[in-house]
Amino acid sequence: MAAYDFIFSSLGLEDWCAEGQSDAPMSMAALLQKTQGTTGEPESLWDTPFPSMNALNESCAAFPKSRELTKGLEEGFLSIKDSLSVVLDPLTQPLSWALDGTLYGMLNTPWWIVIPILLAVVFFVTKSWKLVGFVAVSLCLLAFIDYYRYAMETLAIIFVCAFLCVLFGVPIGIAMSRSNMMQRLTVPVLDMLQTLPPFVYLIPLIFLFSVTESKLYGIAIILYAIVPVIRLTNLGIRLVDKDVIEAADAFGMTSHQKLFKVQIPLALPNIMAGVNQTIMMSLAMVVIASLVSAPGLGVLVLQGIRNLELGVGLVAGLGIVILAVILDRVTKASLARINASQNQ
Amino acid sequence: MDRNIKISIRNLYKIFGPDPVAALEHVRGGMGKAELLEKHHHVLGLQDINVDMHEGEITVIMGLSGSGKSTLIRHLNRLIEPTAGEVQVDGEDVLRFNEDQLRKLRRERMSMVFQKFALLPHKTVLENAGMALLVRGYSANEFEGEAKKWLARVGLEGNEYQYPHQLSGGMQQRVGIARALASNSPIMLMDEAFSALDPLIRSDMQDLLLELQDELQKTVVFITHDLDESLKLADHLVILKDGHIVQQGEPQEILMNPNDPYITDFISDINRARVLRVRSIMKKTTEAPEKCAGDISERENLESVIGRSDGDTDLVYRVVRKGKQVGVLEMKELVKALVPLDTSEGDARSRY
Repeated sequence: MAAYDFIFSSLGLEDWCAEGQSDAPMSMAALLQKTQGTTGEPESLWDTPFPSMNALNESCAAFPKSRELTKGLEEGFLSIKDSLSVVLDPLTQPLSWALDGTLYGMLNTPWWIVIPILLAVVFFVTKSWKLVGFVAVSLCLLAFIDYYRYAMETLAIIFVCAFLCVLFGVPIGIAMSRSNMMQRLTVPVLDMLQTLPPFVYLIPLIFLFSVTESKLYGIAIILYAIVPVIRLTNLGIRLVDKDVIEAADAFGMTSHQKLFKVQIPLALPNIMAGVNQTIMMSLAMVVIASLVSAPGLGVLVLQGIRNLELGVGLVAGLGIVILAVILDRVTKASLARINASQNQ
Repeated sequence: MDRNIKISIRNLYKIFGPDPVAALEHVRGGMGKAELLEKHHHVLGLQDINVDMHEGEITVIMGLSGSGKSTLIRHLNRLIEPTAGEVQVDGEDVLRFNEDQLRKLRRERMSMVFQKFALLPHKTVLENAGMALLVRGYSANEFEGEAKKWLARVGLEGNEYQYPHQLSGGMQQRVGIARALASNSPIMLMDEAFSALDPLIRSDMQDLLLELQDELQKTVVFITHDLDESLKLADHLVILKDGHIVQQGEPQEILMNPNDPYITDFISDINRARVLRVRSIMKKTTEAPEKCAGDISERENLESVIGRSDGDTDLVYRVVRKGKQVGVLEMKELVKALVPLDTSEGDARSRY
């Protein structure tokens, strides 16, 4: 007997409930109850349980337990998994190629070519010798303590993922800015991506793709990091001065001209702020993604935790901080350069 | 008027709200702005506007904020769609234009100058001035000459490669004007173009506009809330209030014969000696006066006549146009004209 027997008896469902009774071994809880000689009946109103799935199951064996709900989800997912991967696998295969290719390229080019190229890129986007010097010192420091390879792996993954985030995020943001309907549909998805703990969407990804494939962590990073660039592109375009848009209309610009000659250039500071955020978030995720075989500094952090190698973990963490500072400073400096040419 | 009608607005209505067509019926049935807002929650933007704008003239639309003047000018190039009515440019109804025709109209026949300048902040002054040509598909090399010419004309020689934020407000608006002129369109819409400028620069810009107008003879539609500005610039003055036209006509005519207490109140504060011209108060006659103190032009304002007469109210002047006498001005008449006609001025003030 349990707390909610009366519901089923008053509805005349006893027969249906009885069908659910089986001769299967008793659950641990039921066994405990039996040995303690107590019944499921609450002793006072104070102890009445919430009519949850499990509580109702106690009254009526045919009623499903909550574990059956999660089990159902698992089974459902597993049953569509195969057909889903038939579609998703070829679609995402280029991501694997891009990641593997970039990793291969960066790791197999000698350091005395890679570091100057990186410094040249830094100079090209920031036009600041001070930053170039800072980046050179940081990279050499990492290389000196033999973390060069790990740092380059992390950088390669970030470059590919951030590039793809911008490639997909900016057009999505533009589409959102042009249609309120699109915005209404996209915002909940973005909210969800931003608030779901990253581990949660690692789980279905592990089911869908094999852990040995690099697209697994690629997708995880992109899903996590694409949100800010979409949001800020949308915001940036919506914030473009209404007077300037009106002027563009008054001079007979087509919507295409308006987008490329007015809206995107004027939204660029916001879009670049989004790119900065996206890069920082992919750096955060690349560490977590080492759980699913992403190479790089995250592996060392993980090693530090697993083997209790305090020093390895700390130094790798420091390396991540250095990369973060480099990426942040460089993107912020290029953002400032854009801002400087636009302040009104 | 001997000039052609360039733009003609006929029975134009604009109602803001979820169901303007239904609200339009109420307005046609005689409902006022306040009642419409209270009972049907629609805002009456423009009500039965009829204006003819002549080629080569400056038509000034004046009204206080909320009178619908900015709404009206945006109907001419259809930045705002009307609820009912017609806007004819060169005899064609703009409201029936499809998207391509409308774009062609905006690119080639109308240009616009904005209150807040609305320049592209990421482009140089030169590129901004060439915007209209850029939009039409010319490359930077092709429009450079044209843009430079107009920038020089508005006094911005040497600033071509600066960015708008490096210029002062007055200079930015000069870029705005150069941008409109460079499009070579016959019609120029100016939406409170000088309102954001300080008084001295504003006066400079007005002079610049009049000077350009003498030379180019464009059809200018100018919006302002400043009566002095409108009297200085207008060939044809339209006064708007709460979305309807209170009075329109030649500015001197409106000054001498205001037909509404609203306007009487409006014009009571202005310096009449400066805005009134000899031709609007002279006695029309070709007979020479007996004691003539000298010749004055019909275009002169009263201030300069008073200065010339040295305050003597007994003098009589001969008024001439191109050397021929067209009238006679007695200084006594002049002094009388300096006082607003309407003795009920006090009533008007208490009502508005």
